Amino acid sequence: MDARWSRRLVLGALLAAPPWLHGGATQPPYTLERRALRFPADHGSHPDSRTEWWYMTGWLRDTQGQLLGFQITFFRSRVDGAQRLSSRLAARQLLFAHAAITDVTARRFVHEQAMTRWNGRPDAEPPANERAFARQADTHVRLPGWTLRRNERGVYETRLQQGDLSMVLQAQPSQALLLQGEAGWSRKGPDASQASFYYSQPQLAVEGRVSIAGQMHQVRGRAWLDHEWSEALLHPQAVGWDWIGINLHDGSALTAFRLRRADGTALWAGGSFRSAGSSSSQTPDQVFGPSEVAFLPQRHWSSPTTGIRYPVDWQIQTPAGVFRVKTLLDAQELDSRPTTGAIYWEGLCELYLTGNDKPVGLGYLEMTGYGERIRLG
Amino acid sequence: MTAALGRLWRLWWAFSWPEVRHHPWRHGVAVLAVMLGVGLALSVHWINASALAEFSSAVRSANGEPDAQLRHATDRLDDRWWDRVATDPAVQAASPVLEAQAMTWTANGQRQSVRLWGVDALTLASVQPGLMPRLMEDAGRLDLFAADAVFLNPAAQALFADGPVNVQVGMERVALRRAGTVGQAGGPLLVMDVGALQHLLGLDGLISRVDLRLRAGTDTRALIAQWRAQAATNGQWQAEAVMLVLPDDGGARLSQVSRAYRVNLTVLALVALFTGAFLVFSVLSLSVTQRLPGMALLGVLGLDARDRQRLVWLESVLLGAVGSLLGVALGTALAWSALRWLGGDLGGGFFDGVSPRLQWRTIDAVGYTTLGVAAAVLGGWWPARWVRGMAPAQALKGVPLRGAGLVSASPRGGALWAGPLLLLVGAGLSLLPPVHGLPLGAYLGIAALLVGGILTLPLIAGLALPACSDRLHTQALALLAVERARRFPDAVAVATSGVVASLALSVALTVMVGSFRQSMTAWLDAVLPADLYVRAGAGPQQAAILTPAFIREVQAMPAVVSAVPQRQRSVWLDPRQPAITLLARPLRSASDPSMPVLLPLVGPALAWPASPDAVPIFVSEAVADRFDARPGRTLALPGIGPPEVRFQVVGVMRDYGRQHGSIAIDEQDYLRLTGDTAVNDLALSLQPGVSAEALRTELLRAHGDTIEVTSAQTIRRLSLDIFDRSFAITVWLQGVAIGMGLLGVSASMGAQVLARRREFGLLRHLGFSRQQLLRLVAAEGGVWSALGALAGVGLGLAVSVVLVHVVNPQSFHWTMDMHIPWDRVIWLALSVVAAGTLTAWVSGRHAASQQAVLVVKQEA
Repeated sequence: MDARWSRRLVLGALLAAPPWLHGGATQPPYTLERRALRFPADHGSHPDSRTEWWYMTGWLRDTQGQLLGFQITFFRSRVDGAQRLSSRLAARQLLFAHAAITDVTARRFVHEQAMTRWNGRPDAEPPANERAFARQADTHVRLPGWTLRRNERGVYETRLQQGDLSMVLQAQPSQALLLQGEAGWSRKGPDASQASFYYSQPQLAVEGRVSIAGQMHQVRGRAWLDHEWSEALLHPQAVGWDWIGINLHDGSALTAFRLRRADGTALWAGGSFRSAGSSSSQTPDQVFGPSEVAFLPQRHWSSPTTGIRYPVDWQIQTPAGVFRVKTLLDAQELDSRPTTGAIYWEGLCELYLTGNDKPVGLGYLEMTGYGERIRLG
Repeated sequence: MTAALGRLWRLWWAFSWPEVRHHPWRHGVAVLAVMLGVGLALSVHWINASALAEFSSAVRSANGEPDAQLRHATDRLDDRWWDRVATDPAVQAASPVLEAQAMTWTANGQRQSVRLWGVDALTLASVQPGLMPRLMEDAGRLDLFAADAVFLNPAAQALFADGPVNVQVGMERVALRRAGTVGQAGGPLLVMDVGALQHLLGLDGLISRVDLRLRAGTDTRALIAQWRAQAATNGQWQAEAVMLVLPDDGGARLSQVSRAYRVNLTVLALVALFTGAFLVFSVLSLSVTQRLPGMALLGVLGLDARDRQRLVWLESVLLGAVGSLLGVALGTALAWSALRWLGGDLGGGFFDGVSPRLQWRTIDAVGYTTLGVAAAVLGGWWPARWVRGMAPAQALKGVPLRGAGLVSASPRGGALWAGPLLLLVGAGLSLLPPVHGLPLGAYLGIAALLVGGILTLPLIAGLALPACSDRLHTQALALLAVERARRFPDAVAVATSGVVASLALSVALTVMVGSFRQSMTAWLDAVLPADLYVRAGAGPQQAAILTPAFIREVQAMPAVVSAVPQRQRSVWLDPRQPAITLLARPLRSASDPSMPVLLPLVGPALAWPASPDAVPIFVSEAVADRFDARPGRTLALPGIGPPEVRFQVVGVMRDYGRQHGSIAIDEQDYLRLTGDTAVNDLALSLQPGVSAEALRTELLRAHGDTIEVTSAQTIRRLSLDIFDRSFAITVWLQGVAIGMGLLGVSASMGAQVLARRREFGLLRHLGFSRQQLLRLVAAEGGVWSALGALAGVGLGLAVSVVLVHVVNPQSFHWTMDMHIPWDRVIWLALSVVAAGTLTAWVSGRHAASQQAVLVVKQEA
């Protein structure tokens, strides 16, 4: 029962399970009301919404110049069947965390994950020994061994110590927040209810250290943080999705995603582009409409362990240009069949402009639902 | 060597086998006794070994054993300990569990208490996979955490009908939705989410334990010391009361719990085995005497003394071997059926939730077979020696073996005093303290008393009988019988030793059971002063408890004079020892706060401490023994109140109901220290003239099947019924023992009649009729049995004193008042005398009918 759920899997798991399977028949009708975002409160958790995540991805270089990819993610999801419980150990919320390091030079991929319960009680100042929580006043999420916190200076501090992996990173925003969709209201499907609150913090200046199997690296790099929460997001026909979030070397930020049907066609799509020049504005230069984004696979890779075939080289057409996304290491697949039964691909990629072989950005690609249809609930 | 063995074997085949075939019953009885001894001892051993093995394997199932458990002395741990230890560098995984008992309604409508555990499905897999809930096909993944979802283990699945499982919380019936299963073996177990169970039971912030997987090489002793120290400096969460329980501790605790009953049963089995040895002795003595001419002939024909001895040895070895092998079969069958029908604790309730499979081990079988054979060889030792020492030519001429073939150990001067000396040694051994909680000294003392008593018989016969014979000088037959006993005291000793031993054991058991029953009855009267007792469910962690509203309602009933609440909790003073029950109830009488309410006290109670820092408690004898908690001493009860509170023992009470010990505390003190207002039982005293039955019916009508209402009489009757049933086996054993003793009399008398052919022949010549001779034999039997009965009763009383005042307090930590049921004792003694006389008469007649003609012919 370890958490090897990517953010979209978590999302899917919670959305696809019919409400009558969540226990108690007398749940309030949960909906996500569209409103303006308010900070710093909206940096914190929203326990009333079904699903939420803080998702940091990026690249690092150690003192030898070696390139590493990293992602560290904290999820929260509401457990409807436990909402009426008031005890301290009540699992009214589940917290997940997931981290992976891609060592491009050594062609190695290491990951860890954790999952725990949280009673969802409103914050007091969390005591030092509190095992797990997701504070509501500002970003501060903890699971045993894992923390992500936005400090009083707005710097994200994250720590992880588990298994072969340890990370201590500080990520300093170098640009304004980026509100996705319409001022942070991001549609995810043809129905109005299929939407989320979604903002990003691209171009974070990262420094710290990571350690893989006892080998320590002092690192600096660039990261991308997504914070997103929603109530009902996934369309019933969706079987999986593709997503990229890339920091361009010139300071621009590119987001693109699509939700796929079983036949591989797009059910919905979206994204945004903010140029370096607009980096002090929370509104991107361009917000992509559902019909304006196309993901075209160029090359495939078959996982030797699961046999699943993933596109690892994409042409992505957006109103901001036609891009090429090439993975830096094919083997960035996560197999969690023994625990959740889910298999997906998430890893570090380079971004090119078509017809140009000089990379213009480094960021993360996620692909789900390429094996069997995700079994949920 | 093999040639010699082959010769011996041929000799046995030609000379001994016909004897066995001729007297199948006599040999059969000896074999039976060895079989009983070996079978009983082996089955006790195997039943317990199987239960313990099953327990450890259940604990260590697959890879599912936690390295340690963090627990609290009161079985309720602050759940922040989980937060604290989960992030400790020494801890790889930590999983919280909340344990409770709940009353449920089974498929056949019965109320039954089952285990109800709350777990954390997210951390369980890496610590204890066997407890991991498995979702049903149509359940949602998040049902693992749902407020109303329950998972059933195989035993629980068998217990409940399909559909929701109803459990009683307080006095409410709560329907839980079946969401899947758990693999955990053992008794019925319901599993829920730990947070959901906290909410359901109103135990917010509490768990029972944290199961831990530790990094390799962690020093658990240092770890718990560090955690306690850190928590104590933060003033947190009753640091002094937390403990790390290691997996071995559970086994040690069970072993501890079951040891006393196990050892006592084994001693009983060994008694059976040595009775077997004694029967082998009797049987071989008799058969050797009967075969004397044959033996002599073989001797004259060249079979030397050593070979004759070896032949008898072989006979005894074969008796022992056959008995032991049958005993192994019997032990296997007994152990198998006992495990199947009664469980590993023989119904004693020690191994709850463990369903063991028989652990058959060759080494045990071989060991106990050897023991059986050794017992038989011991029995055959003296007959073999006599045969070796006989003079063949003399025997061939018909000169009887010295001591009528029964006693050779002619009392040398010192041996005469060996008996009284052994009696003294026995008395001394009985005064020794227990060894590892076992009354080993007392057992050895009892053995010494029995042997010493038997060896003292000749002395008694020599001292007591002259007086009798003086008065009997006009009655020839009686005079002959008494004189014979007086002149051959050794023969009396041997013939009656079986009767003496078995009667002594029977009297001792009768007196002990009688004393126990008497004390139990008095105790029941003391602890059941009220008319009616009400409870929602049994057990210290019971979710079904009486609610304040219900208690107020009962107290307001006009028929009720008083309704006295009682709270039960479990307290662990040592993780390797079983938990102690803490009973909170009003102990100060309402009118005079300085006077304690009556408890079944042993010895005087001290005055109550005046200082509020010293809380008065009464401890049961088990607690007093195990923790040396004598009146006046103070005791720490970790987890009950703040750490600085000391509990002062003001009195020791009897508690036959809770073998592992109990502590009684006044309800006001308990409430002040813990704030715990839960109530398990209510004792109702009724207005004079009110029918308890009518009120019981009224209560049950109002509250349906959420409460149990029992009258004091019913509890008393049920308790005594259970007592009588569990001691019924001792009556049966007494019968067997006395029967074996009488077989000894029979064998001895038969041998006597045979050996005294010449004497009887002479008496016939002097004009005694055959009937008169038979009466003489019967009279001798009567005299001997009477002596034996007298000695047996005396010894039995001595042994009963040891059983009542040493063995019971040392094994079970309870004392009782000596109570001798004279009617039963006298009845036992008289039946032994009657049976002994009858046996002698029958044996004499049997021997005479075969031999009378021969005797006269021989004489002629």
